[in-house]
Amino acid sequence: MTAEKTDAPAGAPPQQKRDFLRRLSATPELGPAILLVVMLVVFTAINPAFMSLNNISNALTFTVELGLIALGMTLLMTSGEFDLSVGSVFGFTAVVMWTLINSTALGMPLSFLIAMAVAMGIGAVNGIFVTRLKIPSFLVTLGMLLVVRGSALWLTSGFPQRTWDAGDQWLAEVLVGSFCIGGDGDFCTGGLRIYMSLIWFVLIALACHYTLTRSRFGNWIQATGGNPAAAKNRGVPTRTVKMVLFMLTSALAGLAGIISSIRVSAANPNSGTTYELEVIAMVVIGGTALMGGRGTIIGTVLGVLILRLMRNGIVLIGVPGLAYNIFIGAIILGMMALHSALERRHNEGT
Amino acid sequence: MTTPIVEMRNIEKFYGRIHALRGVNLKVNPGEIVGLLGDNGAGKSTLIKVLSGAVPYTSGQIFIKGREVQLNSTNDAIANGVETIYQDSALVPQLSIARNLFLGRELRKGPRWMDRMDTAEMNRVASELLRRVGITKNIPPTTPISGLSGGERQAVAIARAMYFDSDIIILDEPTNNLGVAETQGVLNFVRDARDKGHACIFIAHNIHHVFQVCDRMVVMRMGTVAADDLTPKTSTIQDVENVITGEHLAA
Ligand SMILES: Nc1ncnc2c1ncn2[C@@H]1O[C@H](COP(=O)(O)OP(=O)(O)O)[C@@H](O)[C@H]1O
Ligand SMILES: [Mg+2]
Repeated sequence: MTAEKTDAPAGAPPQQKRDFLRRLSATPELGPAILLVVMLVVFTAINPAFMSLNNISNALTFTVELGLIALGMTLLMTSGEFDLSVGSVFGFTAVVMWTLINSTALGMPLSFLIAMAVAMGIGAVNGIFVTRLKIPSFLVTLGMLLVVRGSALWLTSGFPQRTWDAGDQWLAEVLVGSFCIGGDGDFCTGGLRIYMSLIWFVLIALACHYTLTRSRFGNWIQATGGNPAAAKNRGVPTRTVKMVLFMLTSALAGLAGIISSIRVSAANPNSGTTYELEVIAMVVIGGTALMGGRGTIIGTVLGVLILRLMRNGIVLIGVPGLAYNIFIGAIILGMMALHSALERRHNEGT
Repeated sequence: MTTPIVEMRNIEKFYGRIHALRGVNLKVNPGEIVGLLGDNGAGKSTLIKVLSGAVPYTSGQIFIKGREVQLNSTNDAIANGVETIYQDSALVPQLSIARNLFLGRELRKGPRWMDRMDTAEMNRVASELLRRVGITKNIPPTTPISGLSGGERQAVAIARAMYFDSDIIILDEPTNNLGVAETQGVLNFVRDARDKGHACIFIAHNIHHVFQVCDRMVVMRMGTVAADDLTPKTSTIQDVENVITGEHLAA
């Protein structure tokens, strides 16, 4: 083929700049990675306590609960759909589990399994509405948000569920138990307290990264979001792909809700409200395309860290907590501008 | 007489009340490039979609290599050796050349539950294929499709159809929006595919392009086949245009 793409080498400095931009557009994670490093440096410079083990361990604990949802959302968004009902599933699944534990003789492991099955069922219903009835996921999952949140409130009459039986359950230990690295005493003084939920987050993140980048299913996810007609023409089961991802996202939201309820010792029917927006923000800040086709788990992990450490950091450096949303909004807008500029370059094929 | 690669008999297709195909008969012989011509709305795309399993037909029979087949999905058609290259829905722009080549038929290695793609082998086959179909520029197989020109994309799509041992390759307007040099490249690919034993159905608006590669031309008009025995040797472009517009009937 004689396609002319003029690679005009116009001296060294412009060439270097081009290479940098090309690398930046080929690796969407680079932008968020730079932002994260800048944040760490600035916060630590203003208040060295930011880098303390105690603070990091605190920040990480809460981070993984939203992070788990963000992992599922990344895969789902790469396939071209998203889910606004995750925040309500987060609250509802924990409520279901604790209601079963408190009012039946099923015990925690069985109640856990039932609650997780309910979460996956909610994802399956989302998937059926989107893939079979061809209703946009925005509308389907918005409706589901209301149905699920309403169910949680109705089931509990609006009251938090008792969770104090969790203490001596092995399953609670497996999900949120903690151990201490290098510290001593009940409060792990001077050391780093690691919660099991962090281990789960790391394992699931690795599995999601592997799936998206190395597995055949990952190729199908990207094709389903990138060009659904082409994927279908090649025999890719695009409906099944989306069904599986809706169910996975819902299951991870449910798991996160259960972990959170054990950690804070409360299953509140209102918990998780507006998490869907924060999670989608984390995913897009990390470089996953809102319209599908391109996704990155590494970027999402960076996005999760950026938003959570920002919340944590601005309080530590003395900015009023109420101003948090101003920063988050500005970051989202800035990163979107960067990603869309890079995406345009990428599509132009330069 | 050789058995035709594809024979469609008496195909009828209704879209609701619209009678899109009216008793269409089409035969394609081994190693033949058939040009499919006709005005907008004549039914070319519909006929092709029926043959590629993308839309169900109302009645009629389809034979592939003499055997009657039911084409209920695109997978059925692919399994029967029918490869279709659609204009906008052939490739996934975000995926690499190699990942597109093997999309839906990815090579895997290791234990099944790991579902791991054999990326190294896929890249190796892809670069070999790119070389064989004559993309001489050094394009690595990991390049995303979005980084390729229109002609290069067609080349990748055609190379894929050739690699998977299809008996017949259907191209829906492959030369649309291409420059002169790129069009020649695509036409060369079509000839090359024929020389390697694949039959082709080639849909194009530009009669000149069709004349350059086709062995035979089929003209559709208002859901029927108006002529199926025109060849570039025996007809002029003017003759074919007259059949397309129906002027030969008036004369
Ligand atoms: N999905 C569809 N639904 C309803 N009518 C259709 C559909 N696709 C094509 N048609 C109609 O069928 C006829 C043939 O169309 P088509 O096969 O696209 O023709 P061509 O490709 O030759 O331009 C036209 O009248 C068109 O309006
Ligand atoms: Mg058409």
